Amino acid sequence: MLSACCARIDVMSPSQLEDYYDAVIVGAGAAGLSATLGLLRRWRNSSPEDAAVPKILVISKLQALRSHTGSAEGGIAASLGNIDKDDWHWHYYDTIKGGDWLVDQDAAHLLAELAPQTVIRLEHDGVAFSRTPDGHIAQRRFGGHTADFGKAPVKRAAFAADRIGHQILHSLWQQCVAYDVTFAEEWYVSDLILSESDAGKRANGVLAIDTHTGTVHAVNASNVVIATGGAGRLFSTTSNSWDLTGDGLSLALDAGLQIEDAEFIQFHPTGLAHTGILLSEAARAEGGVLRNADGEAFMQRYAPEHTDLAARDVVSRAIRSEVKSGRGVADPKEPDGPRDCVWLDMRSIDPDHLETALPQVCEIIRGYANLDPSRDLIPVKPTAHYTMGGIPVNTDGQVYSWSDGERHLIHGLYAAGECSCVSVHGANRLGGNSLLDACLFGTRAGESIARDLLARKDDTRNPDGQDIPRTPDAPAIDVERRKAKIEQLLHRPADDDGAAGPASQDGGLGSAVGGAEVRQGVSDNAYALMSDLGRLLERHIAVVCDRQGIAEAKAALDHGFTRRAAALRTHSDAAAYNQELTAILEAHRLLALAKAVVNAMSAREESRGSLKRLDFPERDDERFLAHSMTDTTGRISWQPVHIVDVPPRQREY
Amino acid sequence: MVGDGAEQHADSPMRVVIRISRFLPKPERPRRHSNPFAKDDAKQEPAFPRRKRQRGKQWVQDYPMRVHPQDTILNCLLSIKRDSDPTLAFRYSCGHGMCGSDAVSINGTPTLLCTATVGEWAKTPVPLSSGNEFRHTGVTTGSVDASIPVTTSDAGPASPAGADESLAAPGNDDGGDAGPDRIIELAPLPGFPVQRDLIADIDPMLEQIKRMKPYLQAKGLLATKADGAVDVFEYLQRPEQLHRYELLSNCIACGVCEGSCPVYAGGEAFIGPAALIMSSRFINDSRDGATDQRLDDIRQADGIAACQSVRACSRHCPKGIDVGEEMWRLVERSGGAQG
Repeated sequence: MLSACCARIDVMSPSQLEDYYDAVIVGAGAAGLSATLGLLRRWRNSSPEDAAVPKILVISKLQALRSHTGSAEGGIAASLGNIDKDDWHWHYYDTIKGGDWLVDQDAAHLLAELAPQTVIRLEHDGVAFSRTPDGHIAQRRFGGHTADFGKAPVKRAAFAADRIGHQILHSLWQQCVAYDVTFAEEWYVSDLILSESDAGKRANGVLAIDTHTGTVHAVNASNVVIATGGAGRLFSTTSNSWDLTGDGLSLALDAGLQIEDAEFIQFHPTGLAHTGILLSEAARAEGGVLRNADGEAFMQRYAPEHTDLAARDVVSRAIRSEVKSGRGVADPKEPDGPRDCVWLDMRSIDPDHLETALPQVCEIIRGYANLDPSRDLIPVKPTAHYTMGGIPVNTDGQVYSWSDGERHLIHGLYAAGECSCVSVHGANRLGGNSLLDACLFGTRAGESIARDLLARKDDTRNPDGQDIPRTPDAPAIDVERRKAKIEQLLHRPADDDGAAGPASQDGGLGSAVGGAEVRQGVSDNAYALMSDLGRLLERHIAVVCDRQGIAEAKAALDHGFTRRAAALRTHSDAAAYNQELTAILEAHRLLALAKAVVNAMSAREESRGSLKRLDFPERDDERFLAHSMTDTTGRISWQPVHIVDVPPRQREY
Repeated sequence: MVGDGAEQHADSPMRVVIRISRFLPKPERPRRHSNPFAKDDAKQEPAFPRRKRQRGKQWVQDYPMRVHPQDTILNCLLSIKRDSDPTLAFRYSCGHGMCGSDAVSINGTPTLLCTATVGEWAKTPVPLSSGNEFRHTGVTTGSVDASIPVTTSDAGPASPAGADESLAAPGNDDGGDAGPDRIIELAPLPGFPVQRDLIADIDPMLEQIKRMKPYLQAKGLLATKADGAVDVFEYLQRPEQLHRYELLSNCIACGVCEGSCPVYAGGEAFIGPAALIMSSRFINDSRDGATDQRLDDIRQADGIAACQSVRACSRHCPKGIDVGEEMWRLVERSGGAQG
């Protein structure tokens, strides 16, 4: 019904790969699917029924519907005012304050003002929002959402029980099915292809590996959207899925581009010990209290006014400080393990209310810790949750590089969602703004591509106006180089008998974790490397850091880990469904990103939002009211924050 | 089929053997591909081309481990990947039952790796009472690939007789637990072609779901005020209307219900419970205006009539959907609408 002229292809196979696409979307979560729908809808609204439909390919390293968007629990922020009186200006202010004034205010303005229509569009797409008794979208309280510029709490987060992400992901995918969108599932993008001319840089497509066969494909495209999500796997304790290895950020770095504000990573205070699985903030909103080894409700000392419901970064740091002072507890599962947790005490909550108000939280605690929240203390620790920084984009989702005090657009290259930085999250993201960012700015990126394609179609040099002209003089993409690289990764050197454990190699493991673990029976591999990398960064730069920790992390990354990563080879030479091959590429990506993060952290000699430097404990607007722009050379340049009408103030809750 | 390990003490580690049906496809074979939408007139096409059995090497591999009873089986497999055998292939992503990637067969029962715990599924091996009553035909065993590292001395390839022998003996235990190791048997999700190890090709399920036009086809009615002005912009839906389909909308398309269904396992005769749940989700959504078309769609030969009400689909739905009951309601609804 919608696009009869469009070939219906459901799952990619190499023979069906077109030789050219108008747009390739990398990532099939909320941002990628929003971009796809934004493009198609804008095109359809501006074209006659019989016009050609742009050729679009959505590439995802997972199957459809598996993206981490589906795990978002709480809600999506919008000043709908369905329950409490609300105003988008208040949402705007909360976003800027939450981000500790590192937010570009023109972008935050769009975010807050367009949030209600974004949520309404999701409802029309099928999201099963929870409802008020009279049938409107229901809204709930979230930390940091206030009325009247910080005066009182307001119910602003639209929700679908505790499954808003699942609802959004599935509804967007369903709408893509309605548009016959073509997906290349379980393809891993290995390279972003840019070309350079007098007119500047431009995207020409991507190289991608079909993991079903191990075959490398050149995907030529005049527009590329990177929407690959975050990088929680930088840390061993994370609420993120196993797939969030910072692929998009690292693709951009690898292509010679910068990433913005990479040093800002949000830690959620209540990850279930040693799984990192999120226990929603609602657990504390309903009366849960954090306690140290002495049983003391310690948040009263750190934030007398808001205690356990203080901002996420404040609570996470308080937990770290208790642990450091020796008042932490060990996970009961490993009584002899590190005492790096504190207790979440929910025993004072009425058991019946506990079950009805926090079903998901109770289920996770029972399923993954084998504890009863109505009787037992629950071990929790801060868990890496969200990367505020990302690929720098303007408010139309277009990627730029920052040099000579100016933004230089990369033509045809877009980014959206957690891997991008518009920047609406600044130094610390406000709850409920991540899904909003992904859906809203994802849609805008797609619409921007549609506008560009429509303009080219109507160009006077395209008299018949039927087909969309291709980008002129795009060079052919060199597949052979990447193919050779894959071949090399699949074949182990002949002298490797597979017996050398990583602990026997110098650097990396030994220096990172004190050689505590000796892996036997198999030579070093990408999974072990990523695990060790997570522990290294967790130990040195998670939640709080200082010059020495940063230097130690940097030394280990630059030497031991770099050497180990370069030596990685698969243990099976069969290319089909070789997950280890993908894992090696992910390990390379994660390592490159870790270096950029540590560099940016080292350069920002202040504490702001999620970044706490013990050696520079105060915010320093004189020197650092600016976005860090980092590339692989380690060079950092600074881009001033767009301050419009909310001058910096102290961030207090 | 829950194992008998439930009485395990909560904190004490236990010895367990993870026994995995492995498969390595023959290299360089072009991927077979099913595509019901290749032509616009999909009804003229067969549901999908006949599934071809992948050719390749098949074997069973044992991984002895020492783990906590509350550890998830996914965590066991992840430590196998990290510490002993990086070649083991299985899908996983979120690790807490939301993404739906990791449906496999555990001890013959389809369920998710990340919600299944060792204590819940580890079973004491029952030796066959005698060799001449039944012949063991369940798994094909062969030689283990020499390139794959073997984790310990008793982790060699299972031979038809050797497997049970090595496990019945206490063996070289490192913990002092008495008795034989408990066993957890893993195989790919039944009902779908295997691609490598525990990875199955579930595209047929997704394509069947797509056939059901799984997207909101809204009536497009927005509430208006008395003077005709549009009052609200979202489609109104009262909580009791939401309640009629909310649970169905929680389906994560993991395929556990499909793998449990004896009719579906036969192949193309049945569109499968997952696609029908999707259909029911929209039929019960007060905002959707395509109910008649949706009911017509499920009345096709491979539709709801092919369901034999076995109700195995209800047992392990990770989202708690009573799939069998929902199938029965669809039977009633589609029959009633016809009469």
